[in-house]
Amino acid sequence: MTIDPGAVARPTGRSYLARRRRTGTLLVLPALAVLALILALPIAASLALSLMDADTADFRFGVFVGLDNYRTLFADPVFALALRNSIYWMVVEVAVVVVVALWFALLLNHPMGRWSVFRIILLVPWALAPVANAVLWKWIYNSSYGILNFLGTATGVLPDPVVWLGDPGLALNALLVAEIWKEIPFITLLLLAGLQNVPRILYRASRLDGAGPWQTFRFVTLPQLRTTILICIVLQSIWALKSFDLVYVLTRGGPANATTMLNFLAYRVSFQFGNLGLGAAVADILFFVMFLLALAYVRVFRPARAAERGVA
Amino acid sequence: MSRRGRARTRRIGIGLGLALFVAWTLAPIVWALISSFLPLRALTSTPPDLAPGNFTLENYLGVLSADRDLIGGLRNSAIVASFTAVLALLIGSSAAYALARLRVPGGGKILMLILVTQMFPAMVIIIPLFIVLSRTGLTDSQVGLMIVYLSFVLPIVIWVLKGFFEAVPRELERAAAVDGASTMQVFRLVVLPISLPPLFATGVFAFIEAWNEFFFAVILTQSSAKTAPVVVAEFSGQYVSLYGQMVAAAAIASIPVIVLAIVFRRYILEGFVEGAVKG
Repeated sequence: MTIDPGAVARPTGRSYLARRRRTGTLLVLPALAVLALILALPIAASLALSLMDADTADFRFGVFVGLDNYRTLFADPVFALALRNSIYWMVVEVAVVVVVALWFALLLNHPMGRWSVFRIILLVPWALAPVANAVLWKWIYNSSYGILNFLGTATGVLPDPVVWLGDPGLALNALLVAEIWKEIPFITLLLLAGLQNVPRILYRASRLDGAGPWQTFRFVTLPQLRTTILICIVLQSIWALKSFDLVYVLTRGGPANATTMLNFLAYRVSFQFGNLGLGAAVADILFFVMFLLALAYVRVFRPARAAERGVA
Repeated sequence: MSRRGRARTRRIGIGLGLALFVAWTLAPIVWALISSFLPLRALTSTPPDLAPGNFTLENYLGVLSADRDLIGGLRNSAIVASFTAVLALLIGSSAAYALARLRVPGGGKILMLILVTQMFPAMVIIIPLFIVLSRTGLTDSQVGLMIVYLSFVLPIVIWVLKGFFEAVPRELERAAAVDGASTMQVFRLVVLPISLPPLFATGVFAFIEAWNEFFFAVILTQSSAKTAPVVVAEFSGQYVSLYGQMVAAAAIASIPVIVLAIVFRRYILEGFVEGAVKG
């Protein structure tokens, strides 16, 4: 370590802070440059691409066609169906995941649920590769030998075996169950972290006031968890719109586009039909929706952080 | 009902809830694991033939045999995921330290921007990147994948490490500065060495994310750079009726990262989960 005599004299002076700030900027720059190159630039390019007629035949940016791609999309019934599927998927997934995860988190926060093995159990579906999850459910849903049809017919719940992934009315919901199963654990962990931040004294006070378990939940836990729940809702909405692996492995968007959602449609149009301009238009619409959700996340986040700083 | 009776019913209720939680969360995995050890004729008989004598390793051996791509896929995944994690740590740790401690101008905005990038659909960046990588001959290569993976791994690494660096006691940095260390030296010689455990854990987290990634991999790789998830997905589409092997392949591709997650659970729970809620 070399010794700089100036620093020894006054390490807290203005020059010290200015130097720290300058070094800080230098340290941030490489990361920002990388992110600009592989994130900001491609996003800008994708917006431009959606206004062009480009395809995978020559791998280049094409001819400017204005809003033609968007016009094509809005006239396309498959796009309308994909949009409807995406909204249904997001709403059901978020509602079920957050409600069930809240229930699990309350159970695990109870003294009986503090056993560390329960938390390890939660990590397993979370760390499982999404593709492996898809394969696992492909086997469960198998119409001839799947365990679901076996248990269903053996117990008499199902009169006949069901083709879970081949029926347009069932396929999307079958995928939803697989997705929800995998997504619940992480949201449970987030809510558990939130529950552990609820000041103990509030529970003691509510017990002294004679509140029952339901009243304590309704008037102490739920208001205290408000911000965490909002964060979970926004994050899960974003993740729901990103779903891809399950659709790819289980149904490829079928049967009859019943499981085609915006993200998969963008992939199919770009890389299977080779229409990069039109695919970029689908991706940009998805981007716009997710950008609004991200803004919502930031707005929920800010007051929470400000409040925390106020306490600290 | 008496007060004690009510308390007892409540305890039974919570016990039942916990049992349901365990069953729901583990049942699909347990069934997949059992299936992966059963030969095809046991799986296709009704009811499934679970006689202990049936259990065998033939699915695992079959799926790992040389003519299937799984070993190559595992190798590609291991290489791409570890290099991505190391690269992200190299570039991300200094940025995270600066954003945590050095009052970088506009630091708050930069952090929010980094957080928001996590929420973009991968689809929006892959089309332009695909064009550029095709023209530079980097599709179906490990290097191409690493570059693209940085787009989601680097923001996570910066965000998580920022939280860890904020917990480093300021007194240590001040003491080093009083001794005449420059800001860079404080970072390199004081902060980094005592942050090795969180750095390693963040690297593990980045590794898990990169290992499990499928969307970019299926678009950018065709043969030589296929990662384990791509091979598993292809296998389940090609050998649709080899149920046991299909599930065994999925298990082989998942077990490494599940073990990592369980071993490093303390950091995942403290650093990542609380970071997402508290910021």
